[in-house]
Amino acid sequence: MKLEMSNIAFTRLQRECKEVVTNTEIAQTGIMIEILNESLTDIKGQIRGPPDTPYAGGLFDLEIKIPDSYPFSPPKIKFVTKIWHPNVSSQTGVICLDILKDQWAASLTLRTVLLSIQALMCSPEPKDPQDAVVAKQYMENPALFKSTAEFWTVRFARGKSGENEDYKSRVEKLRDMGVREEEAISVLSCNNWDLNKATVYIFS
Amino acid sequence: MDDEDMSCTSNDDDDYDCCDDDYYNDCDVDATDDVAVTSTHSEEAEFECLNVAQVEKVFVESVKTLMLRLNIGDKVAKLLLVANSWDIEYIVSMYRMNRYDLFRQSHMAAKSDVAYEKPKNGYCSVCAIDGYESLASLQCGHCFCEQCWNCHIESRLSEGVATRIECMESECGVYCPPDFVYEILEKGPLRAKYDRFLFRDLVLSHRELKFCVGKDCQVVIRSNEDKPKRVTCESCHTAFCVKCGVDYHAPTSCDTIKQWLTKCADDSETANYISAHTKDCPQCHSCIEKAGGCNHIQCTRCRYHFCWMCFGDWKTHGSEYYECSRYKENPSVAAEANHVKARRALEKYLHYFERFENHSKSLKMEEQLRDKIRKKIEDKVNEHNGTWIDWQYLHSSVSLLTKCRYTLQYTYPFAYYMQSGPRKQLFEYQQAQLEKEVEELAWAVERADATARGALEAHMHRAEHKRQTLLHDFFF
Repeated sequence: MKLEMSNIAFTRLQRECKEVVTNTEIAQTGIMIEILNESLTDIKGQIRGPPDTPYAGGLFDLEIKIPDSYPFSPPKIKFVTKIWHPNVSSQTGVICLDILKDQWAASLTLRTVLLSIQALMCSPEPKDPQDAVVAKQYMENPALFKSTAEFWTVRFARGKSGENEDYKSRVEKLRDMGVREEEAISVLSCNNWDLNKATVYIFS
Repeated sequence: MDDEDMSCTSNDDDDYDCCDDDYYNDCDVDATDDVAVTSTHSEEAEFECLNVAQVEKVFVESVKTLMLRLNIGDKVAKLLLVANSWDIEYIVSMYRMNRYDLFRQSHMAAKSDVAYEKPKNGYCSVCAIDGYESLASLQCGHCFCEQCWNCHIESRLSEGVATRIECMESECGVYCPPDFVYEILEKGPLRAKYDRFLFRDLVLSHRELKFCVGKDCQVVIRSNEDKPKRVTCESCHTAFCVKCGVDYHAPTSCDTIKQWLTKCADDSETANYISAHTKDCPQCHSCIEKAGGCNHIQCTRCRYHFCWMCFGDWKTHGSEYYECSRYKENPSVAAEANHVKARRALEKYLHYFERFENHSKSLKMEEQLRDKIRKKIEDKVNEHNGTWIDWQYLHSSVSLLTKCRYTLQYTYPFAYYMQSGPRKQLFEYQQAQLEKEVEELAWAVERADATARGALEAHMHRAEHKRQTLLHDFFF
């Protein structure tokens, strides 16, 4: 039985990879996958940040792990590229999405899942947050959330738009104190870019 | 052996009834209040113990009734019953209102009306292979190959799912009915597993049925009690709350006890840490470890007498009425800083937790007391000092002590979650009264040799009376 299951997974994935890699329509939607090993258990996913969102212009890498029981259990997917989003952990990249948990159905594919994640980037669900700090900022201060998410897109997701000079100088100040860039950005973002609070948080 | 105190009462009443509820026949204390105590309310739920065959019979009867009422097949009837807590009246009314909504809610029809194209060339979208001669589908019509269905069902079974195995199509929501599962699984080891889980799910879905919580006990309890009363399994003798299955917890409600037990599990480390610490003498602040059971503490250094629970001067405890069980809210709480508030919240929790735990420990220790008394009775009978029946009142007194202390233990979670106000004041007043009576009874039972039967029974009567009054006002 075990063998049969992984057989199904293997055939399915071969077909899915062909679908996502070759289909031009899918290239236009901005998702792609890349196979990392022969047994097809490790796959790299990529999502282009959707236009008219703070993620526009960014390229977001995802880690996809295929369990033995695929497609009868969901693939394990998380962001590798750091992203500021209410439903994604700003620390670990873990995604809160129902179809990756109890709403998974065997007829769903990597393509449909990546498209759902892309849709989640367009319309976050702050009421069902993965990262409470980000969700709080999203609800209470949408403008600040937007500029923070944009800053993260430029810094971590190879975004092309101009950098927020104000934020940049605050990050530099923390770096001068010996803080790693990633930590500086993270702590500043969590403290609504309040340099004093961030400093106190790091050094106390 | 100092039997003199006891022998004076040993012959008065040979037909003494050892049943706890009747022990106060010959007591004259508070006789006028007995009306309130001996009411029809019982803490025991009405129930019956069923075996597997009897449970199946219960199911069959409900299915038959529903079939006749709605003129539908037995399989449809059973699915409707499982999905709707076996509530026939609800199903009938919903069916008459809008049967398609009922089917959708019961996971017997697809959630959305999205058009579904039947796959061509026998293609199964799960394994991505075409050319299958036949595909299988549920009521919703979503087709997949049998091998994929098999893997899907196996995968769900390994997660313990049986009646809720859903269709493999996304957002469909239809559950696989048992005959479909049997068809796919055919005869194999998984079939037995499915049978087992199916039976469990059917019992769990029935609002009158409940598995006995006793270890390895197969009995199913049937009761339509709506209060959280006690059931005692006839097979394994485990007693538990008929509603939620945890230890019986009157006067506390099921929700409250769940909240309390979760809180205790979460906070027990902190609570243990803090309660494991010694306390300081309120006068000279030297560190004191409590070695005995008595709450009356005398500091060995400064000789100050104080109460271990409230740190008050012990002298005030004798004359005024006992109120260490009452938690006093500080009126200036609102003005305090957050950490002080947190500290106060912890203190409040610990106040109740310590008392809850303390009674739990006392109950365990009184188990030993029961053994001791049993042995004492045996010795007396062997020495031809009265008959077994003569000494039964001693046994009854320990049983009653356990019963009262048990209720008292569960008054603390109740009080913890109670809103401040006159009702809480009344509750805490009654709790303090019960606390006082229980401790007096415990004292008397532990020294049964030196207590006359009449006096002991007076204690028993008063304690049970307070317990009944409290349950009356706050539980029944």
